[in-house]
Amino acid sequence: MGEHVARTKDQILTMLLKNMNAFVSGQAICDRLGCSRTAVWKHIQELQKEGYIIESVPRRGYRLVQRPDRLSEAEIKAGLKCQVFGRTIIYKESVVSTQKIAHFLAEDGAEEGTLVVSDEQTGGRGRLGRIWHSPKGSGIWMSLILRPALPFHRTPPLTLMAAVAVVRAIHAATGLRCAIKWPNDVLYEGKKLVGILTEMQAEENRVRAVIIGIGMNVNTPSDAFPEELKETATSLKIITGKAYARAELIQAILFELESLYHLYLTEGFRAIKLMWESYSTSLGKRIRARTAHGDVVTGVAKGITDDGVLLVEGDDGRVHPIYSADIDL
Amino acid sequence: MLKIQEIRELIKLIDGSSIDEFEYEFDGSKIVMKKNAGATAVVAQPAAAPAPSPAPAPAPASAQPLPASDAGGEKSEAAPAEDEKLHKIVSPMVGTFYRAPSPDAEPFVKVGSKVDKDTVVCIVEAMKLFNEIEADVKGEIVEVLAENGQLVEYGQPLFLVKTE
Repeated sequence: MGEHVARTKDQILTMLLKNMNAFVSGQAICDRLGCSRTAVWKHIQELQKEGYIIESVPRRGYRLVQRPDRLSEAEIKAGLKCQVFGRTIIYKESVVSTQKIAHFLAEDGAEEGTLVVSDEQTGGRGRLGRIWHSPKGSGIWMSLILRPALPFHRTPPLTLMAAVAVVRAIHAATGLRCAIKWPNDVLYEGKKLVGILTEMQAEENRVRAVIIGIGMNVNTPSDAFPEELKETATSLKIITGKAYARAELIQAILFELESLYHLYLTEGFRAIKLMWESYSTSLGKRIRARTAHGDVVTGVAKGITDDGVLLVEGDDGRVHPIYSADIDL
Repeated sequence: MLKIQEIRELIKLIDGSSIDEFEYEFDGSKIVMKKNAGATAVVAQPAAAPAPSPAPAPAPASAQPLPASDAGGEKSEAAPAEDEKLHKIVSPMVGTFYRAPSPDAEPFVKVGSKVDKDTVVCIVEAMKLFNEIEADVKGEIVEVLAENGQLVEYGQPLFLVKTE
């Protein structure tokens, strides 16, 4: 029963979102969903309590004029311009980590494009178990499941592809132009705005799933960052002073990811490489690449290869291909 | 596969040339040679089997990851002649080898660890893509062949497993 009621409410919301700022008659809702007028009215009141501003005019119906920055499956699906990505959306109010859930779902056979998204992560992680700060309602914490039929060595460029998609989505939704630091850090004026963690599940000779985790600071006020992050992290709110609807940003990210993923599978990385280079903050500059082993290459970032490998012309005059390192500008 | 004389001839030719790295792949076999400060390293191994059907055609040679400059060192191995009870877990790509999920965590496996086909034994990371490598065989780890944080190459052996 509870489940069914919740679904009816989501369906009403979807109808209103699709007709944002236009009237939808109460009768049309009743006919579509097979429920009574009284039931519709109750759901509308629920939505109003959640922060949706819905006008109700006799004989004309209901009109949604303002939506709160709220995440739900219905919010993300209404207006989503994707074929496959986001067809299945798992939304949770609070999770330990969306990446963890996506891993379970991928092992369980979840289809390509399945999205896990949450308002809050209590144990969000970055790479190598580093903690990713993800407070309630202020950002986008999501994980997307891909099932690419690619040989292993062609999977790493997906991380550069994801960064390009996020930069394009931010530009489309906010007008801001962010930069990419190799391979996939998204920065605004040198401060980290988005973190991307990509993990692969593989069998002997086959990619089972690639899971792209994206953490974006959206409406985070500056005082919400812990002290040690204030100098290095930023949010859209801090940059522009405005608040953004996270559902719309997620739609933009999924749209860009789906287009670029298709481009990568059909045309290879070369087409995406040009975009990546145009957003890069490090090309032509002096950088320092530190490997996990402690080796350091200092030199000028010359470019990336058609596989996304960073080429650094070292002070020794040799060009070093960098597959894996932390980059300092 | 090339004959041993032909490989010797190749080593001589490359030794006397200005070529630093040489890679040759034919019919499922692969030879990689690298010169490091005068030393010549030869690694021969069977190339990875092609991915199953829906995968696009094998990438052209230029898309093969280049062996990185600082890894490798001196070693030489003959490919197919190995103890049938000892299985090598090899790296599926160029990248950084991690033995543990985070710097302060216990390693996934140690010498003596029992593994199943789906036991995660390590992570190999390239361009911030983290690949959890599974044992793919049931058995016991008898040797760890790479060091935590080391750059490993495509096809480089990472663990020896005594299979059950």
